[in-house]
Amino acid sequence: MRARALPGLAALLLGGCASGPLTVHHLPPQTPAADNAAAVALAASNPFQNAADAKDGPDVVSGRSAAVPPMHTYDPWERMNRFFYRFNTRFDEAIFLPVANNYQRLPAPLQAGVHNFFDNLAEPTTVINDVLQLQLHSGLRNLGRFIVNSTLGIGGLFDVATRTRLQSSPTGFSATLGRWGLHPGPYLVIPILGPSTLRDGFGLLGDYGLAYEVNVADLYRGAKGYALWPIDVTDQRANTDFRYYASGSPFEYETTRFLYVHRELLEDEALHAKSTPTVINRKAPDTVTH
Amino acid sequence: MPASVPLLELNLSLPWARPVPAIYWFDRRLRAWFSAQPHPAPLAIVIAGTGGDGNTAKLSTLRAVLYGAGYHVLTVPSPTFPGFIVSASSTGVAGDLKQDSQDLYAALQLLVAHLPRRTQITDVDLLGYSLGGAHAAVIKSIDDVERKLKIHRVIMINPPVSLFSSIGRLDELFTLSIGSGDSGVEQLYKRLYTRLANLYRRSNKVTIDETDLYSAASAVLRSDADFSAVIALSFRLSLVDVFYAGDLYAGTGIVVDPTHPPGVGDSLEQIGVVLRGKTFADYFRDVFAPYYLAHRPGSTAASLLADNRLDIIADTLEHNPDYFAMTNNDDPILSAEDLAWLRAKLGSRIVVYDHGGHLGNLGERQQVADLLEMLAGRWQSGT
Repeated sequence: MRARALPGLAALLLGGCASGPLTVHHLPPQTPAADNAAAVALAASNPFQNAADAKDGPDVVSGRSAAVPPMHTYDPWERMNRFFYRFNTRFDEAIFLPVANNYQRLPAPLQAGVHNFFDNLAEPTTVINDVLQLQLHSGLRNLGRFIVNSTLGIGGLFDVATRTRLQSSPTGFSATLGRWGLHPGPYLVIPILGPSTLRDGFGLLGDYGLAYEVNVADLYRGAKGYALWPIDVTDQRANTDFRYYASGSPFEYETTRFLYVHRELLEDEALHAKSTPTVINRKAPDTVTH
Repeated sequence: MPASVPLLELNLSLPWARPVPAIYWFDRRLRAWFSAQPHPAPLAIVIAGTGGDGNTAKLSTLRAVLYGAGYHVLTVPSPTFPGFIVSASSTGVAGDLKQDSQDLYAALQLLVAHLPRRTQITDVDLLGYSLGGAHAAVIKSIDDVERKLKIHRVIMINPPVSLFSSIGRLDELFTLSIGSGDSGVEQLYKRLYTRLANLYRRSNKVTIDETDLYSAASAVLRSDADFSAVIALSFRLSLVDVFYAGDLYAGTGIVVDPTHPPGVGDSLEQIGVVLRGKTFADYFRDVFAPYYLAHRPGSTAASLLADNRLDIIADTLEHNPDYFAMTNNDDPILSAEDLAWLRAKLGSRIVVYDHGGHLGNLGERQQVADLLEMLAGRWQSGT
C-alpha cells in the first residue's frame, strides 16, 4: 500500500447510492489473452512453498490451544470490524468502484503512466524500509529503480527499470516491524482501506510519515499533494482485485480474515527466512509499460 | 479468443423477491454480466455450476469463446449461489431441479427484458456447466411450453443426471479421500485456506476463485491421480452456503435458531465449523426433505429424489433435436449408468471425451470447436 493513500482516501468521501430496479455498471473490457498470461505468470511465480504446509499445529495467530477451532483468527474487535466491513462494502459500491471503473476506461498507456508514476513515488519509502530490514540488496535494487525510472522513465511515467531487469519488490513499514519480531496483532478492518491488521495500520502511518519527510519533488506539501491523492487512491483501487461480498456468502468476513492474516504471517516467514521475494507484476497497466 | 470483451454488470431487483434476512443485507439484487455485440447477433445465456456466481473463471472462458464466435453473452449465477437464493429463489431452499429452474427462468425473462435497448437479438441459446447444465435443459423444457424466451438450442456441459446420486458420490469421495470426523475436516480446511493464503502472497488478493481453489485443493490433497477429491472438496465448500441459507429460510433449526437468527454484526465462526462437517446427505435429510415434504403434499423422500433426475425431461431429451450435451468418460459426478443413460437419450447429440474429468477440458480447442458446432446447428455426430 502506497503511503500517500491514507489521507487521500478521505477526499473520496463524497457521493450517493444508486436506486431503482436495475443498475448497470460499465466495466472495463475483459482481456482473455492478457489475463491468461497473467494467470500463468502468477502460477509460475508462486510455487507451492513449504511454509503453507507446515502450519497445521496450534494456531499461530491466536496462540491458543487445539481446543480452539483451527480456522480461528484473533479478532478481539470483531463487532467494530464487522461494522467497518459493512461500511466499506457500501462505500465501495457507491463511490470507489464506479470511480475506479471509469478510470479503467481511460487509454491503457495513460493508466500505466499514472500507475508507474505513483509506484515510483513510493520507491524512496521502500528503500528506507529495505535498509531497516537489512535487505541491502533489495534496497540497492529499489534505489536503482528509483534513479532509472525518475530519469530515463521521465519522472516515473515509464517503468524502464523493470525492462532492464531491475524488478520491483515493494515493501513497507509493517514488514519492517514484522522483520524485527512484531506480530501482526489483531485483525483490523480499516475504514475505506479494508482488511488489515493492527501492525499494518501502524505500518501505513509509518510509511506516510517517511514519505512526508522525504517529500520527493516537494509533492507531499501543499495543494499539489491534495490534488494527487485522489488520483493515487483511484489507481490503487483500480488495481486491487477485491470486491466485497463477491462470494455472496455471509461467511465471507471469516474467510477474508483468515486469508488476510495468514497471508501476512507467511510473508513474515519468508522475510525471516531471507528468501528472495517473489515478484508479481500488478494487473493490466503493467502489461503496457515502456 | 478475442483480445477484448466488453462487459456490463447488471444488478436487478426482482419485484417478486421476498424480504431479505438481515444477515444477507448485501445480496438484495440479482447480479448478472452481459457482453453485447455491436450488431444483431444471437444471444447465448450461460448458467454457472454449483455455488457459482455469474462471473466465475469458467464463465469468463465461455464468455470469451462465445463472444469471439459472434454471440451476445449473458452469464448468470447458479440457483445454488447465495446471491441467487436470496434475491431470486422462491423457496430459499436450493437443490430442487425443477423449482430452481423455474425461479431462474423467471429471472432470465426479466434480465433479458432489461438488456440495453440497442441490443438486437436474432436467436436465444442456453448453456450451462455442471449443475447449470441440468438447469439449462429443464429451463428449455419449460420454455418449450411457455415460449417466453423462445430458447432455440441448449447445451449441457458436464451435467449430472441425478442430482442427489451425483452429490452422494461426492460425499463418498470426500470421505474416502479426506476422512470424516469434525476435527479432521476442520484441519483440512485450515490447510486448504493456508495454501490459498500462500498463493496470494505478494499479491493483494484475498478472495477465492475456482482456479485458485483447485490449485490449493490439489496441493493439499496431493491427489494428482484422483482429481475427483478436489472436485468433491469444492462442492463441499458450496454446500456450506446452500445449507446455511436453506436452514435459515426453511426454519429447520439445524444450525440457525429460527427464533433468533444471527444479526448483521454477529460472528458465524462456530456455525461455520459445524457446517464444514456437513455432508450433502445431511442437507437432504435435515433441510431439503423436511421443507419439500411439508410444502408438497403427497410427496415422499423417494419422490423427491426421483424429481431431481434428468428423467423428468427424458422424452424431450430423446426426441427434441435441439438438446445437446458434452461430457467426459472420467467425470466423477457420473456413474457408468448415468453416462449410458445420457448416451441413450441424446444419441448423436452428445459428445463424450475420454479424459477431462469434471470440466477439466473446458475451453480446450476440441471442446470449444464442438460446442460452437452444436450451437450453430452444424453438429454431425458424437463419439
